[in-house]
Amino acid sequence: MERTEDVRREYTDVSDASLVVSIGRYQQLALAEAYRRHAGAVFGLAKRLLGDAARAEEIVQEVFVRLWNEPNRFDPDRGTLRSFLLAHAHGRSIDLIRSDSARKRREEREVREQADGGYDVAHEVWDMALAEHVRSALDELTADERSAIELAYFGGLTYREVAERLDQPEGTVKSRIRTGLKRLRAELSGAGVTVGTGA
Amino acid sequence: MTDNIDFMNDGSGDVRELDELLGAYALDAVDPDEARRVEDYLASNPRAADEVQQHREVATMLAFTGMDAPDGVWERITDELEGGDDVGPSGSVAGLLPFDPPDADRRVAAGSGSPTAAPVTGEQSDSGEHRDNVVPFRRRRAGTFLLGAAAAAVLAISAVVVLDGRASAPTDPIAEAYEVARDAAGAQVTDLAAAGSDVTATGVIGLDGQGYIDASSLPSLDEEQTYQLWGVLSDTGDVVSIGILGADPALETFTVDGIGVDALAITIEQAPGVISDGNPDGAYVGTFG
Repeated sequence: MERTEDVRREYTDVSDASLVVSIGRYQQLALAEAYRRHAGAVFGLAKRLLGDAARAEEIVQEVFVRLWNEPNRFDPDRGTLRSFLLAHAHGRSIDLIRSDSARKRREEREVREQADGGYDVAHEVWDMALAEHVRSALDELTADERSAIELAYFGGLTYREVAERLDQPEGTVKSRIRTGLKRLRAELSGAGVTVGTGA
Repeated sequence: MTDNIDFMNDGSGDVRELDELLGAYALDAVDPDEARRVEDYLASNPRAADEVQQHREVATMLAFTGMDAPDGVWERITDELEGGDDVGPSGSVAGLLPFDPPDADRRVAAGSGSPTAAPVTGEQSDSGEHRDNVVPFRRRRAGTFLLGAAAAAVLAISAVVVLDGRASAPTDPIAEAYEVARDAAGAQVTDLAAAGSDVTATGVIGLDGQGYIDASSLPSLDEEQTYQLWGVLSDTGDVVSIGILGADPALETFTVDGIGVDALAITIEQAPGVISDGNPDGAYVGTFG
């Protein structure tokens, strides 16, 4: 067991990019380390989107199996591994959400969440220090920008659906999502939070 | 800017409109037809592609939840990988190196607060290096096994080249070189042994990368079978095929060109040998100290 601890420590010290290289060389332990680092975030996002732990687990499984089978799809020069994995998880979750059967469940969940007082992105951020920065950055957005981003990203709505939900012009919502994300990035960067500089 | 102008000239859409879609696209919040238009746009516009990536990184910050993946998900992942059509035998030569038999139960949890981690089959070589054994399962992935394949090719070719040079007589130049290399300071030497057998083979790798395997003591096999030599690469732990020794092996040579090898194994395979996942039954294994 002591040896396995040492082996695991060997991977805990390497970058995400190096992990993916090792995954490309069939190093299962590297995949395990990537899983240890990011599976929670993947699961959390998928569960939030789908409102269904079992289906979120399926997304996690799919995301990491894909990483194993196609590690070359990750380009460390284009972004972080976490972003890469979450983008896949988000996209697959959205596919499910937009199927008729899942849509009904999501809408039911939204009703429950609204009854409970709605959701707040910042309250679900895991790290206290990061949460504070994210909360502050979100505070700098207008309420309309914040709502548009939350409904699009966590609600799984298209910007057209967001526009309909908020009773606002589509072009306005489209623009608010974009400008809101830019402002969030600027605020986070200004607070010293490193946002996606690659692995 | 040039890309933008070119794109506009293509008549594929309005750049400003597409730019406005980038945020929504990054959040998967566009319709499928719009997604296709944006993807075409991104393919020709690196600036827009960078912007999408930046939006996704911001979304990543929002997505942190601190949740752990539930128990059992990792096991399902490994089960799915192991269930591939092109998986090798359930027992692999990888599991034998260095010496411990494959053990499907050697799965350990990650550190405190972490999701369940991978099955760990780590071992420590005599040199003090730690590594995990090569994964007990392998699925073919286009373009992702270059190192292993390349290493195998280098070693295998060397082995094949020297097959004609085998020598069993003490006066043979190769036999003499083998003895010199075996006794030289700094050479890696190991005796390859099999469980329940007193017979051994001897592997030597000199400082110059010249390798020798003296398998003359191994019993002859049926003609449908062959001995196959494997090596464990130092930098990755990958197990690669070094070469085919035949049914009646003797002294063979191989070259390790810039590749560290920590252990050797000889397995018994159906002729003409296998590409990977050698048969662990009755294998002769030795690690370099």
